[in-house]
Order: sequence, then C-alpha cells, then structure tokens
Amino acid sequence: MSGRADLTLGFIPLTDCAPLVVAKTRGFFAEEGLEVVLSREASWATIRDKVGVGALDGAHMLAPMALAADSMLAPLALNQNGSAVTVGTKLAAMMREADPEALAGPLVTADALMEVIARRRAQGAPPLTFAVVFPHSMHNYFLRYWLGQAGIDPDRDVRLVVTPPPRMVEHLRSGEIDGFCVGAPWNTVAVDEGLGEVLIKASQFWPGGPDKVFGVTAAWADRHGDELRAALRALIRASAWADEPGNHAELVALLSRPDHVGVEAEVLVRALKSEIVFHRHAAGLPRREHALWFLSQMARWGQVGADVDLAAVADRVYRPDLFREAALSLGPVLDPAQVFADAAPAASALFDGPSFDPANPRGYAASFPVGRAR
Amino acid sequence: MDLHRSHLAPDGLRAEGMRVLVIDPDPARAALVAEGLEGVQPLEVRRATTFDEREAAAFAPDVVVIAADSPDRDTLESLREAGQHNPRAVVMFVDRSEPGLAEQAVRAGVAAYVVDGLTPSRVRSILDVAISRFALTQQLRGDLAKAKADLESRKTVERAKGLLMKERGLDEDGAYRLLRKLAMDRGKPIGTVAADLLAFAGVLKGDAS
Repeated sequence: MSGRADLTLGFIPLTDCAPLVVAKTRGFFAEEGLEVVLSREASWATIRDKVGVGALDGAHMLAPMALAADSMLAPLALNQNGSAVTVGTKLAAMMREADPEALAGPLVTADALMEVIARRRAQGAPPLTFAVVFPHSMHNYFLRYWLGQAGIDPDRDVRLVVTPPPRMVEHLRSGEIDGFCVGAPWNTVAVDEGLGEVLIKASQFWPGGPDKVFGVTAAWADRHGDELRAALRALIRASAWADEPGNHAELVALLSRPDHVGVEAEVLVRALKSEIVFHRHAAGLPRREHALWFLSQMARWGQVGADVDLAAVADRVYRPDLFREAALSLGPVLDPAQVFADAAPAASALFDGPSFDPANPRGYAASFPVGRAR
Repeated sequence: MDLHRSHLAPDGLRAEGMRVLVIDPDPARAALVAEGLEGVQPLEVRRATTFDEREAAAFAPDVVVIAADSPDRDTLESLREAGQHNPRAVVMFVDRSEPGLAEQAVRAGVAAYVVDGLTPSRVRSILDVAISRFALTQQLRGDLAKAKADLESRKTVERAKGLLMKERGLDEDGAYRLLRKLAMDRGKPIGTVAADLLAFAGVLKGDAS
C-alpha cells in the first residue's frame, strides 16, 4: 500500500459514526497500513453523490440509502439501534389527555396519537408534522410502521418532512415540527433541553434491528479489494473497541469533539450504555433479511416499482461474504463466533404486526392495512 | 403543470418575471444572482439560510439555488421523491474540487449545476436552462405515467373482452360494443368499467376471499 492518504471516508455527525472516528483516532486504520482522512458531510444526499463519483472512497450511510442508490455495496453494518421517536412536550401532553395511560406502559403505541389526530381533525386543526432524516432511512420506515400499526396513514393523517439530524431539536423548539424519528444523540438532546419525550426506541421497536452501514461503490470495491479488506478489518476492530464499556469515557470524549459530532459528552453516554450496539451479537454482519425488510418497506410505501426484483437488489448490495472474509482474517483478534452468530436467520421480531418472511417481502408489504402496496 | 410548461416559451422566461429562492448562508451569492438577473422584471430573489418548506411553498419560487454542501439537500430531495404538489427546479453550486459530483446530483434530480465561479453574466442562462429542463422532465414524467396507465387500461379492456366472449358467447366486436355501452351508461371510462367487471367476476368465482 502506498504511503500517501489512501482513503477519504465521509460521515454525518451522529453517535453511530463511532467506528469510523475510532478507527481513525485510535490508529486501527494506521495499523492496517491505511492513511485515512475523515470528511464530515452535511447531508445524506451529498454522501451518496460523493461516494458515487469517487470524491469519497466510502462512507457512513443509511442502510436503505445504499439499497436505493445505483451500484452501492454494503460490506459492513455499522450499528444496531440508536434511533427513537420523540414528540414535543405539548403533543405528549395531548396524548396523555387522550389516554392518561398512553405513555405509562413499557411499550408506547401510537393509539393515543391516533386519538389526538381524530380530535384535531374534528376541530379543523392542521395535521401534525413529523420529521425523519431521509426518505430511504430506518427512521422513515420505523416511524411509518409505528404510525401504521395504530391505523395512522403517514401520507394522509400527518405531514412527514425531511430535516437534517442536527436541526431536529431546533425545529421542535420552534414548533415547526411536532415530533421526529432521528438517531442518537438528538433524541437525548431534546429530552435534556426539556423539549420532548421519547415514546419508543429502536431497541423496543425491533430488538437488534439494523440502522447504518459502511458503503462503497461496486466499482471501487472491484478496483480496491485490498484497501477495502484493510478498511473493514480496521472498522470491525473499532466497533469491538467502541462496544467495550471500559472505553466509553474515551469514546464519548472523541465523539463530542466539534469536528466529530460536536455535542456535550453527557448526551452521548446514555445511548451508548443502553442502546447502540456496534459489534456484539454479530452486529457488523450485513444481513440479507435486514436488506429484504428495508426493501419490503420501500414496496409498502411506494418507493420501489412492482417490476424490481427485491431479492436481487438485496444480494447485489448487501455483502456478508466481504464482511466474513475480513472478520475471519482478523483471527485471534476477534472471536470467530461473532462472525457466524447468524447461522440461524435473526428472528425479525418487530414490536407487533405480522412476522416477516424474507422469502416473500412483497406479500409482507401488502399484508398491512396501511400502505401503498396493493 | 401548465405553469411550468409556460417556461418553454422561446425566451425561456415567464413574461411575468421570475422568483428565485437562494438557500445559502452567504449573502454575496444571493447578490450575484440578483445582479445576473437584472433586466428580468419583475424579479424577486429571496435568500434564506435554511430551506423552510412552508415559506418556500408560500413564495412559490421558479427555481431554488442551493450549495452542494448544504444540509438542506436531503429536504429538497425528499420533496422530489414524494412527487410533491409543489415541485421546483433546483440549481446546485458545486466546488470544482469534486469532479463528477454535479453529474451525479443531476441524476438524483437536480436540474442544473454551476461548477465554481458564479459570475453575474452566467446567472440568467443557467437558471433558464434549469427551468426549461425541469419543465421538460416533469412533462416526460407525466407522459410516462400516462402511457403506463393507458397500457394498463388497454390490458384490462382486453381481459374483460375475453371474459365477455367466453361467458356471453359474444364475438370480439360484440364484447367491445357491450363494454362501451356499459361505460357510456355509467358515465365512466371504459378501463374502469372493464376493471369493475373483472373484479366482479373474480368475486363470483371466489377469488377475493
């Protein structure tokens, strides 16, 4: 490998960019002989476009964005969990008024929200506005699914908008939005500022559910097999490091730096302790059934046409083989059991609703009372 | 879409002028855009540091000008994704240091781009191109959707005809005349009547369990 800057990798200021930041600052990239420059980007669209044209070699990506883009590969899942649905204190109070027990249970459904929406409609009030981070994101599908299970049609009964993660809290404060689904640490920031309440976390919605991936283009992976393997090894080691509770103080200090996530250390700690998993439970493995679940939701909400072969897309983009190859080459550094923990497909135990059959994503998509897949 | 189609007028601009929304924390760029459009009357250039959907809808710009590194790109892209009632042309400014980025953005729905150095003399032609191309894309999209719907409708009519021929012992012409009569009696398009007929036949056969 040459001695000059080998790779430029993009990220968005979110807690789950940790594997990239750790691999760079803790020297895991350097130990693989890679000189890496990290580039903080302002939007997911820019990340996708820059990776697409080679201005970035790879990046922190929304898993569904990689599936929706042309010729992207996802050889590594960066994290499980981390996002949550948060509503403003005013809307939380309205939900409690509709049902005093609404926010008391271990699992909050959108039933009380449905009641609030019905009341507002009767009064002629404008629809509630919710924000997600991107049309192709876990956040969008999580929020839509959760709303849909209470009979709320996300395209008709509420207004859904896209807002960049660092601006969510500010928009909640100004009343521009009534709630949002975003990744860590922005839910915690809203709660700490007394602006919002978390209703449901990703770990409750789908224990062990997917979120971000490390993405590169297929063409880049073809030409740079060695660099890709080296980068994956460094990122896998960084993920294992970031999972260690003993390293969390240092991780928080790294992430809170202004050139990384740039928020107070305290708000980063909570999600790291209880929510986000980077490496345990084979979290790094890009699972085919996760890709198919995302694609089923794209079908459900009309983002993908009936002519698209969903299984072919999943197999083209998600590359567990590349992950395995890199992980196994780490040998004693890494417990190989971690790599094969998926011998049995992960039960896609979403918080309720029909069980997901990866063999029939379109049938699953059409099985919901609320949706566009008919 | 008539509003947008009018942009295809020979001079590329609406007779009644132009509204431009510049999303940029940098006031200099908005000033450049305004300078480049001198002579377009009336012209309204509004600058905002961030994109606000409600404000934008109220302002109804002909074109939105945005920097490639703006966090608002995701929001603008989602509006296009949702096929919103209020689509608009987007022009993006790209730093020269990232070759190819602009082309990629165009594939993702940006109507035109400007690589580096914006000079007042180029502004008008760039915005003209963007608006025309946007109008054309919108029209093509509409035409494609219509073509698909037409094809679907023709297939449905064919299937309904086949059903009538089999069940009523009609010839092809007779089946078509019956469908057309049903459509006229009900004041519905023939494709809708054909679809209803097929759905009804399905229920009778027990398809829709």
